[in-house]
Amino acid sequence: PSPGLQGLFTKRLKDSRSVDQRDPGWKLFGKVPPVQNSAKDSRKIHKVGAQVFTSHFSFHKEHETKCGQFGDPTSPRQSVRKNLEFEPLSTTALILEDRPANLPAKPAEEAQKHRQQYEEMVAQAKKRELKEAQKRRKQLEVRCKMEESIGNAALTWNQEILPKWHSVCASRRVRDLCWQGVPPCVRGKVWSLAVGNELNITHELFNICLSRAREKWKSLPVPVAADTESQDAGFPLADREASLELIKLDISRTFPNLCIFQQGGPYHDVLHSILGAYTCYRPDVGYVQGMSFIAAVLILNMDTADAFIAFANLLNKPCQMAFYRVDHSLMLTYFAAFEVFFEENLPKLFAHFKDNKLTPDIYLIDWIFTLYSKSLPLDLACRVWDVFCQDGDEFLFRSALGILRLYDDILTRMDFIHNAQFLTRLPEDISADELFNNIAAINMQSKNKKWAQVLFQMLLYLEGESCS
Amino acid sequence: PKITYNFLFKFLVIGSAGTGKSCLLHQFIENKFKQDSNHTIGVEFGSRVVNVGGKTVKLQIWDTAGQERFRSVTRSYYRGAAGALLVYDITSRETYNALTNWLTDARTLASPNIVIILCGNKKDLDADREVTFLEASRFAQENELMFLETSALTGENVEEAFLKCARTILNKIESGELDPERMGSGIQYGDASLRQLRQPRGSAAQTKQQCNC
Repeated sequence: PSPGLQGLFTKRLKDSRSVDQRDPGWKLFGKVPPVQNSAKDSRKIHKVGAQVFTSHFSFHKEHETKCGQFGDPTSPRQSVRKNLEFEPLSTTALILEDRPANLPAKPAEEAQKHRQQYEEMVAQAKKRELKEAQKRRKQLEVRCKMEESIGNAALTWNQEILPKWHSVCASRRVRDLCWQGVPPCVRGKVWSLAVGNELNITHELFNICLSRAREKWKSLPVPVAADTESQDAGFPLADREASLELIKLDISRTFPNLCIFQQGGPYHDVLHSILGAYTCYRPDVGYVQGMSFIAAVLILNMDTADAFIAFANLLNKPCQMAFYRVDHSLMLTYFAAFEVFFEENLPKLFAHFKDNKLTPDIYLIDWIFTLYSKSLPLDLACRVWDVFCQDGDEFLFRSALGILRLYDDILTRMDFIHNAQFLTRLPEDISADELFNNIAAINMQSKNKKWAQVLFQMLLYLEGESCS
Repeated sequence: PKITYNFLFKFLVIGSAGTGKSCLLHQFIENKFKQDSNHTIGVEFGSRVVNVGGKTVKLQIWDTAGQERFRSVTRSYYRGAAGALLVYDITSRETYNALTNWLTDARTLASPNIVIILCGNKKDLDADREVTFLEASRFAQENELMFLETSALTGENVEEAFLKCARTILNKIESGELDPERMGSGIQYGDASLRQLRQPRGSAAQTKQQCNC
């Protein structure tokens, strides 16, 4: 078939689908006695028969237009009608019926041929329908299987793991389950348990911090305009005050595409509460950009108070504290440790980045600060969290190496600016399986030293530097 | 198609949080306003090849995080920048007041010859204006900065800001005031450059790559 015809064809398929949904339209076919039950088939015929019946094509079209009228009275195709002297009632009717009285009759041979072609078409249509039904069944099976496995996994988590978390959390089995991805329905609980509550934060404490934050917001001198005094006050105080303003600003800039954290969105106040309460809980840390993403991901998976507890405890981990206090030399230590494993695992890419002066901070800062929630698709970021909550910072850096490994080929072919752009804006269609296979393939042992040991060595070195 | 260029300039976009740095960059690169904008953590990048005064210049733009707290991080990106857009928000005096600090950083950490253009962004929000044009232009004069009021929303003066900065750098190269071969100048020769020069290691790899922008 010519491409032009094909073009028309797909368009028409869409039309017939829309007709499908408008039930009354199909009553038209009800007027055709011999094909009552083949209305569906006749539509299929459109698909398979067009090549054979190109001459009938305009009739098909005409008919569709008639049906389409119900929803789209201004269809331009209506005009076609005027050129026709008779109205076919359906495709099948067209094929089987004799020619109109004003035309010479169909020869028997031709009628026979048409009947045969028609039957072939019906047979093909049936075959096709069968195939499609099979495909649908298979898809459904896959989906059911997936749902079942999620359901089963949820059951396993709820019945076998969560009740005795502390005795099984270090087991191989729990580790494997985390790597496979925690089912969304138990994710909040699993994260809460895995992160723990070393800080012993209670719901009451959260409420106290929250009400304090609210008082502060109220007493905040409304827009700090015309305040020229703070111009060169060395910033710490101004920064703290500004951080309350900044929280407001950043909330609206957190997962803006989800439209739930923005002003007027269902989770706007919740996110505001958690970040505000945290600045009262840890005034020495305050609000730092990036936090809103972490709080947002937690909110999506647990209650407000629990999210706050997990948030404060997560940030209290050494790596997160180093970053959120923006302790630059400590951050550099983490990057240096990362580079040890980078060189070991991906020597070619490592050398390429070195040649191009692409330092790890350029991409790691965003990844570590937001725990991948900004750079990876959200469902994938959650899967990183599933393991990170258990394994700690080592897994964050391992994931980074997994990403680099996944895109090794592309990255070694690009220059500084394109690599920097690529890594600070990762593709949106990363496959979870591929990423996790790559993460799993990363070796987190360097010359018999584990991540923590390498990091410790770097820290000692750093201390030695600062003493001398 | 391989786009060749005469020069590569490293540009910075700096200024307080929420002034619209990333939106300016987006408008410059994509020619449209970024509606759902995230806040930048650390640094993001953009690049575009522009024609200035008969020369092809590739701009390599470093768009930095605005929060004060990130300054120890963003400071490390200043080195070797040839030009900078210093951005404040005309509807926020606070962001204007912070300019001195940003400026000091840029002059001390980048090259002292760095060409800086002051951008009073959100020009479209004139009703909420807290900083007058006159006041800012005086500040610019006192500190030897170029100055434009811009709108990342409408695109007004956005391209001009980047081009003006690039043109000034180019003029300085031609007048001999800037030496591209000096370390940390933030300028590299591209492969289209007429001058045949031995290039530093890093830049050779960079310029060989084709540019898809």
